Amino acid sequence: MILGGGGAPTPGAFGTTGRGPRLLGAGGRRATVISTASTVAVLAVLAAIFLLAPGSAQVRHTFFNPADMWQSFIGNPKKGYYSVGEALWLNIRMFITAEILILIFALVIALVRRSTGPVMFPFRVLSMIYVDFFRGVPLLLVILAIGFGVPALRLPFVSVQAVAVYGVAALVLSYSAYVSEVYRAGLNSVHQSQVAAARSLGLSQATTLRHVVLPQAVRNVIPPLLNDFISLQKDTALVGVLGAIEANEAAQIYSSTVFNYSSYTVAAILFLLLTIPLARFTDRVVDRDRRRRLAGVGQ
Amino acid sequence: MTAGLAACGSSSSSSSGSGSSSATATSCSNSAIQPDLYQKGQLTVATDQPAYPPWFENNDPANGKGYESAVAYAIAKLLGFTTSQVKWAYEPFNASYAPGPKKFDFDINEISYTPQRATAVTFSSSYYDVQQALVALKNGPIATGHSPAQLKTYVYGDQVGTTSLAFITSQIQPTAQPRVYQTLNDVKEALQTHQIAALVTDTPTAQYISSSEIPGTEMVAQFPSTGEHYGLLFSKGDPLVTCVNKAIATLKSNGTLQRLQKQYLQIYLGVPTIQP
Repeated sequence: MILGGGGAPTPGAFGTTGRGPRLLGAGGRRATVISTASTVAVLAVLAAIFLLAPGSAQVRHTFFNPADMWQSFIGNPKKGYYSVGEALWLNIRMFITAEILILIFALVIALVRRSTGPVMFPFRVLSMIYVDFFRGVPLLLVILAIGFGVPALRLPFVSVQAVAVYGVAALVLSYSAYVSEVYRAGLNSVHQSQVAAARSLGLSQATTLRHVVLPQAVRNVIPPLLNDFISLQKDTALVGVLGAIEANEAAQIYSSTVFNYSSYTVAAILFLLLTIPLARFTDRVVDRDRRRRLAGVGQ
Repeated sequence: MTAGLAACGSSSSSSSGSGSSSATATSCSNSAIQPDLYQKGQLTVATDQPAYPPWFENNDPANGKGYESAVAYAIAKLLGFTTSQVKWAYEPFNASYAPGPKKFDFDINEISYTPQRATAVTFSSSYYDVQQALVALKNGPIATGHSPAQLKTYVYGDQVGTTSLAFITSQIQPTAQPRVYQTLNDVKEALQTHQIAALVTDTPTAQYISSSEIPGTEMVAQFPSTGEHYGLLFSKGDPLVTCVNKAIATLKSNGTLQRLQKQYLQIYLGVPTIQP
């Protein structure tokens, strides 16, 4: 009975918290010096390879020319190209809309697939076919089929939407298939005894799902969910094939107008600025969750 | 060839300036240009796929039919190549200006010369002077309403990065953002499904689309020339451009280019010209 040993262990003791220790590994000051030197050396070698390559000057001019990067960032329709920065706003809007719809739609599919009643049988089969189909078909083809197919139907309302709407529809269809499987994994991870306990307390099936199963299931799959959404952010760029001027398309217009690829570098940087915060947020969520479990205390 | 030599200096505008002074003295015989070729013993000519009429026919650049195919073979002949020594390579437009060595001697793909583009690649002198034209559905509002003010009110569509797209944004300056597609086929599809009111492309292509490709469309009018022209695309500083420019000048002065334009491009005099 050593007094200091009681209670929850401090998270730091496991080396799981704080960015530094986990990235650098254990070892203190000397390790930090060595890792810094090693990092500098690796970067120096990579930079030397890049700068000393025979075509380096040409590549730097074509991909990293500051003047072209700036021009493509601000855009100039009078010269035939649009602002990559402004076009990114379309990606952001598509991403947010698609993400909300996917979260809802995918959950419905996952719940249908897990349903047990005989009445639900045809829906279970349909949802299975849906998931198989949209996970198997390349997203680009789904975007093309919807973006060019639906307007060609010449229906009132559905055929006269903006291009971005078809793009979001395709993203939702494709990503919901993946995300529903993530949800399903989460639902399966909740032990059957939890359901049994809840039902024995007199909770209805719906209430059990809502208050017992879903909160645990969703918490378990937050990291993979966020992972899918990071991927979704980039894939909004594919909607450009339908003629919507999003960041990647704006970059392509610039590049083929003036024959310089620096605009793509600008688009890449903008996408990184968009995805890195979400990636870091995912890390934090994972860490927090892990700490909580290691603490062994339900909160 | 002497006529060609004389005409060369005046016709090659700004793109081929660098290498020409030293190279004018050198011979353009087939054996003399061998070191400059992508593959010895053959002329490797690139274009995009699909290859559209009237620039190519039956999507087959190697049949010698269509304006660009015929021009490529005429140039090859002047450089001393037989028909079978001309090899065709596939080069998407978006890849044609990538840095580094090219997989062809020149690319012939309706690529317009601009000074900015000429900083990345080398262009030959003009083998076709371009005017942009407007294609729309026959009963669409743009068929009758195309005053400069009215033209600004429509939704246009075009292929990514083309000078036709630049013409829309810089000259027509529509209020709605144009739709920008990966290929010209996508643009045509969008026109057919009423997603766009009109597309802009060079007059011969416009003529082909409206007369034989998409039923129910018409070429509304063409726009005045902005001095735009098509040039063959070479990797930056390729010395071969000097001899190709000589060949183009010869084809100009002996009337071959004019004859081929008449044969394949059918520039009807009746096409009205409107202001953007």
